[in-house]
This record gives sequence, structure tokens and C-alpha cells, in this order.
Amino acid sequence: MDGVRRQPRATGNASPGRPAANGHGRLVGTAFILSILASLALTAVYAVGGQPQLEGALLAVSLGTLGAGIILWARDLLIPEEISEEREPEPSPPGMRAAAETALQMGGRQLTRRTALSRLLIGALGALGLAALFPIRSLGPGPGRSLFHTQWSAGARVVDNEGHPVSVRDLEVGSVVTVFPEGFVGSPVSQVLLIRVEPGSLQLRPGRLAWAPDGVVAFSKICTHAGCPVGLYDASTHQLLCPCHQSTFDVLSGATPVFGPASRPLPQLPLEARADGVLRARADFQEPVGPGFWDRP
Amino acid sequence: MIRRLVLWLDDRLGAASFARRALRKAFPDHWAFMLGEIALYCFVLLVLTGTFLTLFYTASGQDVTYSGPYAPLAGVRMSAAYASVLRLSFEVRAGLVMRQIHHWAALVFVAAIVVHLLRIFFTGAFRRPREINWFVGTGLLILGMLEGFTGYSLPDDLLSGTGIRIAYSVVLSIPLVGTWLAFLFFGGEFPTPIVIGRLLVLHIMLLPGLLFAAVGVHLAIVWHQKHTLFPGPGRTERMVVGSPLWPHYAMKSVGLALVVVAILALLGGLFQVNPVWLYGPYNPTTASAPAQPDWYIGWLEGILRLAPRGDIQLFGHLIPGIFIVGVLFPGAFFAGILLWPLIEHRITGDDAPHHLLNRVRDVPWRSGVGVGVLAFAVILTVAGSNDVLARFFGVPVEWITVGLRVALLVVPPVAGYLTYGICRDLNGGAPESARVGRWVRLRRSATGGFEEVEPDGPDRGAGTAERRGH
Amino acid sequence: MGKRSAWMLGLWLATGLGITLCAGVTPAAPLTTSPQGPAGGRGEVLYVTHCSSCHGLGGTGTPQALPLIGVGAAAVDFMLTTGRMPMADPNQPTLRQPPRFSRAENDALVAYIVSLGPGGPPIPTVRPERGSFARGGQLFGENCAPCHGADGQGAAVAQGQVAPSLHEATPTQIAEAIRIGPGPMPKFGRQIIDAGDLDALVRYVVFLRHAPDPGGLSLGHEGPVIEGFVAWLLGLGLMVVAIRLIGTTT
Repeated sequence: MDGVRRQPRATGNASPGRPAANGHGRLVGTAFILSILASLALTAVYAVGGQPQLEGALLAVSLGTLGAGIILWARDLLIPEEISEEREPEPSPPGMRAAAETALQMGGRQLTRRTALSRLLIGALGALGLAALFPIRSLGPGPGRSLFHTQWSAGARVVDNEGHPVSVRDLEVGSVVTVFPEGFVGSPVSQVLLIRVEPGSLQLRPGRLAWAPDGVVAFSKICTHAGCPVGLYDASTHQLLCPCHQSTFDVLSGATPVFGPASRPLPQLPLEARADGVLRARADFQEPVGPGFWDRP
Repeated sequence: MIRRLVLWLDDRLGAASFARRALRKAFPDHWAFMLGEIALYCFVLLVLTGTFLTLFYTASGQDVTYSGPYAPLAGVRMSAAYASVLRLSFEVRAGLVMRQIHHWAALVFVAAIVVHLLRIFFTGAFRRPREINWFVGTGLLILGMLEGFTGYSLPDDLLSGTGIRIAYSVVLSIPLVGTWLAFLFFGGEFPTPIVIGRLLVLHIMLLPGLLFAAVGVHLAIVWHQKHTLFPGPGRTERMVVGSPLWPHYAMKSVGLALVVVAILALLGGLFQVNPVWLYGPYNPTTASAPAQPDWYIGWLEGILRLAPRGDIQLFGHLIPGIFIVGVLFPGAFFAGILLWPLIEHRITGDDAPHHLLNRVRDVPWRSGVGVGVLAFAVILTVAGSNDVLARFFGVPVEWITVGLRVALLVVPPVAGYLTYGICRDLNGGAPESARVGRWVRLRRSATGGFEEVEPDGPDRGAGTAERRGH
Repeated sequence: MGKRSAWMLGLWLATGLGITLCAGVTPAAPLTTSPQGPAGGRGEVLYVTHCSSCHGLGGTGTPQALPLIGVGAAAVDFMLTTGRMPMADPNQPTLRQPPRFSRAENDALVAYIVSLGPGGPPIPTVRPERGSFARGGQLFGENCAPCHGADGQGAAVAQGQVAPSLHEATPTQIAEAIRIGPGPMPKFGRQIIDAGDLDALVRYVVFLRHAPDPGGLSLGHEGPVIEGFVAWLLGLGLMVVAIRLIGTTT
């Protein structure tokens, strides 16, 4: 069935005279010898403790020369051959197709004749599929209201990542520190950036200036776009930048987004400073922190 | 000995007839047909190196204190997963080179799939009867990307944790069910210590299982349908021409496999990739700049960076902008790729089977569309590194972002239109006559093959398409 | 130009050429009171010549530049030793340059400007060798890496500002920058980063300069972007060359 044509490909002096083939044979042999040497060296390197660069390079030489040898063998030492082969027809021959169709229908008809039973069978399979879906519920808790609150609460002391309470005096104008509610150091949902600016420069929404005693203003550190920690504070322009997608927030105007994909300001945490100067939260955030979701108001 | 084994096998399987045909099967050995093989051998290597890595990896988010040889992290609290990757890198002999080969192989794997897909697209190899394999192949691309993303996330370093963080936020943004989906998959509100174990199950079991199955189907269909051919003297729709599988093509293919692994070993040994010890353990309260995903996620990262603000309020509910660009957009993009054979069929109405390939110039409108979409994807990928570009060129990142927003809208149509025009010019203006001219040339040079070409006639589909493409 | 400035110039040029030089760690010499005396001495002469045209006589500031009264020794020393000051043109961006003054001139200028008024942090004394490696890495990750990158080579921040590479800074300069927050950088006072933390942080930053690259070529620690380029150009590129050699072209 396959029409074989032996075609010595016209590759210069690859005639059956063989002097060139001998040369190629020597080349292939050299490649294999190199491969053997590299593999032995690889074993030795491993045995004496290993070294990543030598391991990689020797493995590359060992495999590369082996591969090259085999390819050269195939290209230059085998008798070149080009065969052609007939394709199978894509639609099967008409008779075969009709026969297959009939076989399918005959079998199917036996099943569909019993209408009630076949419907019940489908129903049973569907119910089984439904029942099999339920274990998915075991994967995790439902969201509930957990996205709507954090661990901040009225009176919670503001602590740094070592748990030391932070007071207004600790912060110079132009400094920034990541803080948490006392007892929840490192909490991902409650992380807050504490920034001190010149008190007069803040232009917050009505009523929120009181949340920033002495120019110490606190914002959720979780980007409202995709949830990365907004860690870059430019103290000269008072802007916060998210390293993931470059959302930029203007601190002085209440962390409103000024560039990039974030739509919503970073939620502001209501703060107060008691007489001892230690900062405390007046309450939890007034809105959910972090990226948006369906039920977010 | 071999003869006895062969006889023993045939006594039991009766496979001689199949074996004879298989060994003498004709494999076209055009170089462009080997792009898929590169991807295949990358996959094989990924399975081998990945198995080695799995033996040393701990899929746990549990807190441990590092006490290994990397001094700057001594005494640092980190997840057991990250600690095990450090141990693998610094203490397991040949561990680092294996990890690096695995990572490089993953990067090249997806790249090879993409180039293979482009070859299939631009030469029209997806046309009837090969639509099914196009669907399977597109599925392989998606699986490969998911596999890459889950793997990138396993070391639990600062960079990979940030990637999971963004993925969580994207899931969270899905209307109605987003919060439930996110909580079910992540086992609660981000971050949870169990998600790393679930990612491992995806990475080493579910996704590779699907990949194996899809690769099997992909190859079986190629085997059954036989390769396409570039048009040329003596080439017809009825016959496939090439080297016999045994020993010519088999040896070339084994040689290629070894060369592919050799190149990856070279990269793995000499080029440091993903130095997780430098990034530090994942800490949900910090992220370092610049933060980038691996290249094949770059276009998704890019659209997130380029998209302007886009939250939508709907009946008192919120549809975050990242749902549109992070879920709908990639969904539509992949749907477009996946369904391309059907889309093209709808446009051209071409029902004929095709075993001879188009050259890129043959179907100017398709090539135009392809280059346009490619330009779109490339610009998005570039946008995924806008902060790196900003530092490199010393310009504000805002300029780069705005410039790329403009480029995203302008460059793809222009590039597509230029491609269309160039292809038409190469065809000598009127595409239909150019095609006929080409077939005339075939008529002169091929004596035996001509009769077999005639029933298909000049490529009708492309001609029709051409008219509609105006 | 003194010996020290020549050395700094060499370092700066070398890094400018992209060569990572292993810069020796020079522990900060504690600032001694200038023998020239604050007023009327060498410091004032230098100030009048190099600084007063922008900062005004007596450090009172002008519309072009901030007043220098009360900025503190750390700020002045940082700006001078990193060559950010004096500027040839007040509109140019404040970038690291070879320092203009010798050590003695530098000290005299610092002493003069500090004598103009009290305030501002003094030049911190750092002993990196005393710092905890792990603590330093942790502090670096939390406070520095967001802008300067995980390996301290710098990154772009908003509005064209750049967090510069830390690889050229001396331990004292690193410590000064932390305390004063030059330019867009926030400042970190003693309450946030105490003296021990400062030692630890500086130790880690100095370490980053010659962080080991056990995996091979560092690719500039540029991360996934450059890795993608290498995978495409070198990895897939070499493989395509291979298949061009293996396969036919017709």
C-alpha cells in the first residue's frame, strides 16, 4: 500500500562510495565518546558533593552529544528514504457509516422503547450527580459576614509588628509603619498603614479629620483592587503605590485612588490618641477592606 | 533473542500487521512540524524532574523556624513549604539543578505550545478534518498555563504568595458565587495554611492527569489523521510523504528529545531562575517591587495593570473591575482561540477537507487577524512588566501605562492591516488569480500528482474568505 | 578631590558600567568636632561658595531650595557624601553622584550647617557586624523591599520617582537614609527602627551587595521578566535552531 521510493537525497558526496560516510561515522562515534565521558564526569561531580553549574553543564554535554550523535547517524549514515502513504478517507465509506448508524439506533431503540424506565434511569443518574456535588461543601466554610469586619474594635490598641503599642510621639512627620490591633500581630485582614503627615495638610471627608489625631492617619494596607499590600509610600507626594498593579492612592485626600486600576479608596481606620499618646481604634472599619465582591455595599 | 521476544509478543497480541504499518509510517520531517515535539519533550522532562522535586517538597503552610545553611534566613519563621524548597535548593545534592531545570522546562514548555499553535494557525492546519485536535491543543495550552501557575505558587515565597493573593481576589470578584468559590477553594478567607496542599494536588495530580490524557488524544489523532504537508511538487491531498518512522524519524525524534533536555539542563545549570531565598518567605503584609508573574501569565497581569477603573454597581451589588478583565476577558480570549476553526468555517463556508497547508500569505485576512491578536497579547505581556520597563527606561510608570493603553488599541489593528496588505502584495494583488497562478505552477512541475489535486480545485475556502475580508 | 572621593568616583563609574564591584565596608568614623570651628572657618567658606546660592546665606532657604537650619547632621552628611549635593542645576533630579568634597571638607560643612540651628537626627553610628541577619532580612522585607526590590537594586515608584539601588551606599549612608528619609522616602525614627534594628538592616543591605548566586548567572536579579526572555530566546531559540538542522525545509 505504501509507495516506497528509495531516493538517495542529493547531499553532495553522500554517494554510496562511503568515504564521507566513514567521516560521519567517526563524528558520530566521537559524539558518543564525549557523551560517555561527560556522564562519567557527572557521576564524579555528584559523588564528591555536587555543584549545580557543573551538574547542569555536564548533563547538557552528555545529553547534547548523545542527541547530536543520534541525529547525525539518522541524517548521514542511514540510507535516505522518502516514503509516501495514502491517507485514510475521513468520512468512512458510506456503507460502513450506515451500518454503524443502524447498530447505534437498533441498540438505542431497545432502551427508548421502555420510556418510563429510561426516564427513571436518567433521573437516577442526575440525582447521583447532584449527590456527588455536595462533598464540595466540605472544602471550606461559607463566607458569612467574615469579609465585612476585621479584628479592629473600639478601644483596640495600635501595636507594631513586635506587639509594642504605638503612640503619636513615636512617629515623626513623614514616617510610615505597618500596625495591627493588639493581640493580632501579623493579621492579614487587619493590617493597617499608619502615616504621619502635617495635620493641616489633610483633606479628609467630613467628620474623618477627627479620626487622624495630630496628623496620624490610618488606612487598610490591602489594595482595593486585587488585595496586594500597598507598601510603597512616597513621602514627598504623599502617595501610596501598590507594587502589583500600580494603583496609586493620595493619602492627604483620604487615600482616594488617583491612578491605576483601583476604584475605591483604601478604607480609613478611625483612630484616637488618649492622654498617654497611645493610639487606639475608635471602632472597626466602616466598610469592608480589600478587593471588591458581589455583596459589598 | 530479540526475534524470540517479537515472536512471543505476536503470539499474544497478533500485532505484526499493526507493527509493520507503524514502523513504515511516513512522517513528514519539515522542521516546523517539530515544534509540538519540543513541547512534548519538555512535558516529559517536567514529569521526571517534578517527580524528583515532589520527593523533597512539603506541601504545608505550617509555621516552622528555619535552621538550614542559608545564613540570612537562619531563625526566620516561615512555612514548611518554603523551608522545604530552601532545603531542596541548598541541602539536597543535585536538588537546585533539578529545581532550575524544572522551572526552565516549564517556561519553555508553554512557549513551545504557543509557537506550535501559531504555526498551526498561520498555515491553516486546524481546518477540517483537524478541528478536534485544535480544540485539544488549545485545552493543552490552558492546562499548561494552569500547571505553570500552580507550580509557581508552591514555593510559598513572597513572589508566589502575591500571585495566589491576586488569584484569590479575582475569584472573589465573580458575581453571586465569587465569595463562596473563593472560600471553598481556599478553605476560608485568604490566607489559609491549607491552600498550598490543594495547589499541590492540582499541580501533581489533577492537572498532569488531564495533560497526560489530552496529550494522548492529541497524538493519537495526529497518528490516525497523519500529518499535513506544505504544498509542493508532487504533494497531493491524498498522500502523505515523509521519512519512515523506523529508523529514520524515530532516531531524529529521540535525538531531538535529548537535545531539548540538554538545552534545558544547560539553562538549569548556568542560569539562576526564581531565587526564592532572595524573595524571602511569604508574608501577607508585604510585597516587594517589582512583582511579576512568569511570562505566560504576563498578559493577564498586563490587562489588570492597563485596565482603567471599572467597578460597576448593579441593583445594589458590586461587579468589581477585576471580574471583567480577570475573568470575562481571558474567558473570551480563550473562547475565541478555541472556537477559531468554527469561526473561520462560519466566515468562509469552506467544508472541504484540507491536508495541504496554506502558506502565511495565502489567506491574507486570516494572517491579518492572527498578527493582530498576537500583537494584542504581546502588548499585554509587555504591560505586565510596566514597572520594570519604567526603571529600565527611566520614565514614570504612569507614562508607560498610558502609552501601552494607547498601543493596545492602535497597534493590533495596524499590525493586522499591514499583514493583510503585505500578504496580498506577495500574492500579486488579486488573491484569487494569485492562487490560480500557483496551482498552474504545480500543474507544470507535477505530472503524476495532478489528477489528485483537481477534485479539490484551487483552495476555495481561502478565496471566499478573501472576498469577505475586504 | 581627595583620595576617598577618587575611590567613590571609581566605584560609581564601575557600577555605572554594570560591573558589580565588591565594595569594601568602611565603618563610619564618628564625626569629630571640626578643628576649623563652625563659624568663620573652612565650613562657612565652603557653604558660601557651594550652597548659599540656593539655600541662602545662613541656611535660611530660598524659593529654590529648603532652609537648612535644623535639618541635622545626618541629612547634610548623606546629601554631601552621596554627591546629591551640591547640585550644578537646582532643577536636575537628585541622583547619586561622585561626592564633591574631601572627607575634611565634608566634615567642616556638616559642622557649619549643624551650627546654624538645633534639630534633626545626628549621623547614626552603625556596627553592621553586631546586627542579626534574620532580623535584618525581615525588616528589609517589610520596610525596604516594597520600593527598593528584594535584592535592593531599586525599582520605579509613582510619578517617575525611582527608589535607587542600595548597592553603592556605605553603611553610614544606609543608616542616614533610614533616619532622614531623603526625597520621596519615608523616614524611620528610633521608635520604629531602633539602634539594634539599624545594625541588622544595614548588615542585610551590605550582604545583598554580594548575595551568592548558587543557581548560576544572576540575570541581574530582575526576576520573571528576564527569565521569560531567556526561556524564549535562549531556550526555545536554541531548540528551534536544532529542529531547523534536524528537519527539512520543504
